[in-house]
Amino acid sequence: MAASAVTAVRGWSGLLLGVRSVVLRLPGLTQVRWSRYGPEYQDPQIDKGYYRKPLAALTEEEKYERELRKTQVIKAAPATRTSSVFEDPVISKFTNMMMKGGNKILARSLMTQTLEAVKRKQFEKYHAASPEEQATIERNPYTIFHQALKNCEPVIGLVSILKGGHFYQVPVPLADRRRRFLAMKWMITECREKKHRRMLMPEKLSQELLEAFHNRGPVIKRKHDTHKMAEANRALAHYRWW
Amino acid sequence: MLKGMTRLISSVHKLDPGRFLHIGTQAPQCLAAHLDNQVATESPRAISRTSENDPAKHGEQHEGQHYNISFQDLKTVFSHGLPPRFVMQVKTFNEACLMVRRPALELLHYLKNTNFAHPAVRYVFYGEKGTGKTLSLCHSIHFCAKQDWLILHIPDAHLWVKNCRDLLQSTYNKQRFDQPLEASTWLKNFKTANEHFLSQIKVQEKYVWNKRESTEKGSPLGEVVEQGIMRVRNATDAVGIVLKELKRQSSSGIFRLLVAVDGVNALWGRTTLKREDKSPIAPEELAFIYNLRKMVKNDWQGGAIVLTVSQTGSLFKPRKAYLPQELLGKEGFDALDPFIPILVSNYNPKEFESCIHYYLENNWLQHEKAHTEEGKKELLFLSNRNPGQLERLCAYL
Repeated sequence: MAASAVTAVRGWSGLLLGVRSVVLRLPGLTQVRWSRYGPEYQDPQIDKGYYRKPLAALTEEEKYERELRKTQVIKAAPATRTSSVFEDPVISKFTNMMMKGGNKILARSLMTQTLEAVKRKQFEKYHAASPEEQATIERNPYTIFHQALKNCEPVIGLVSILKGGHFYQVPVPLADRRRRFLAMKWMITECREKKHRRMLMPEKLSQELLEAFHNRGPVIKRKHDTHKMAEANRALAHYRWW
Repeated sequence: MLKGMTRLISSVHKLDPGRFLHIGTQAPQCLAAHLDNQVATESPRAISRTSENDPAKHGEQHEGQHYNISFQDLKTVFSHGLPPRFVMQVKTFNEACLMVRRPALELLHYLKNTNFAHPAVRYVFYGEKGTGKTLSLCHSIHFCAKQDWLILHIPDAHLWVKNCRDLLQSTYNKQRFDQPLEASTWLKNFKTANEHFLSQIKVQEKYVWNKRESTEKGSPLGEVVEQGIMRVRNATDAVGIVLKELKRQSSSGIFRLLVAVDGVNALWGRTTLKREDKSPIAPEELAFIYNLRKMVKNDWQGGAIVLTVSQTGSLFKPRKAYLPQELLGKEGFDALDPFIPILVSNYNPKEFESCIHYYLENNWLQHEKAHTEEGKKELLFLSNRNPGQLERLCAYL
């Protein structure tokens, strides 16, 4: 009786529209990350300007696109995406990576305190500098953050490949999103591990971000070490098959 | 036009005296206000600052504008009074600018018209969190310092009833407790604020500290303060002596006394301090609180008492409480009754614009979207025009 109930439920789940149950089963390949939305689901449109445009200002294509959207199914917008003018996807991703145990409030407050610390340090430098130097000092914490992470992105990465019973570190090109992920991951790990017990995260992070912005510091060093390892192991590049 | 102005003033005077009036407008000042308004509309870029740095001359025409406090005043008068975030802002901007707001203007008007023969009037600033009670208090302290009053400023009474590492049994009265560290720091700050008065005021009684040290009758108050700073064990008693002498001599007319206490609801609340046998200590068993309660009673002449009730830092009070009755409790309210309550509320639209303008002038809002109308509307929505919240929001934008 219980077994028949289970098979009945499994039958129902396939009937739910758009929910992906079993897509592809290749031997040796397991899907690690997938979304429960099928391919026909469209991304939500968060931009306020899109909805505020008056009907008269729309071109034919835009009118067609709006009519089309009325027939399509749309994914639910995640709670973290807002229509705020101050929203930044890079900052949101970094905050999520800093979060531990789902404590988004703490992660977000650490992020805002870091940005404030960066700003105050730069203002101090600005007031202490001569007028010629003042033009070169960047005070916007967001530009510093973006530039620092861009400076930390590695160009080429290493992957462990199993061949003949041994693991070799093979140089491999990285996708954009992998590079951004590595930059953020290295920054967060560096700030968590290599700080004094009593030093707080915003202070350490602001220090590291400013150093990375000027292309010096431990995270940049780690990027250069990765590049050097890749250069040293370039004979193993043939082990890559993709 | 002048006849129109005088008619306006006479109609203002007919209003019932129960309401808070700004009666200080006379015809020439009204004219000046009219002209100033014209100037303000002509150059809208200059609305956030005023060049009038003397609080005595602040009037309704300066409402919403920031005035500069000189570094000299910061070091002497405000060595211990300002909120910590404001101190950070002063350090970052290299200038101390305070906004002139209606509650502070009201209080300044009352202080200008105090009758020093009558007992000291108590004024209480109250309001929700982050609305600017402490800074309004600091504005009035600045005014009194410029008018050469003696300032007795307790920056945060809550700090005395919690987190005290060393509590000594009081030497003067065995039932009470001393707090040497806090008392000595307070005495140091009091000394920097009122340097010139300490040599003028003479002690009217002989005080014996221990077998070897005593202060003779007629010696300047500075000696008592020095004794408290050097002998940390006697610091709380020194504070008590200072309070007693000032209260006794304020009605003589040599000086005018301003008692300013921030977070006065700490005097009648509960403490988190415990004795060695883990039994709780009531506030009146702390010598400093006991003497301070005597100070805020209105049985002396020759000055004014300006107080603030705040929930931040208070103990065992709900977060949403902001009214004096809720925060002071029955005992505190009865002790302070009668007082003049002054509500400090969020920014009005003009003040909000002025604040944003001030931040933009100092390049504090670095986010590119913060300069746009959309950004301003979003800041207004997120902060609900609360000054504290707006400051925290603009800090990371």
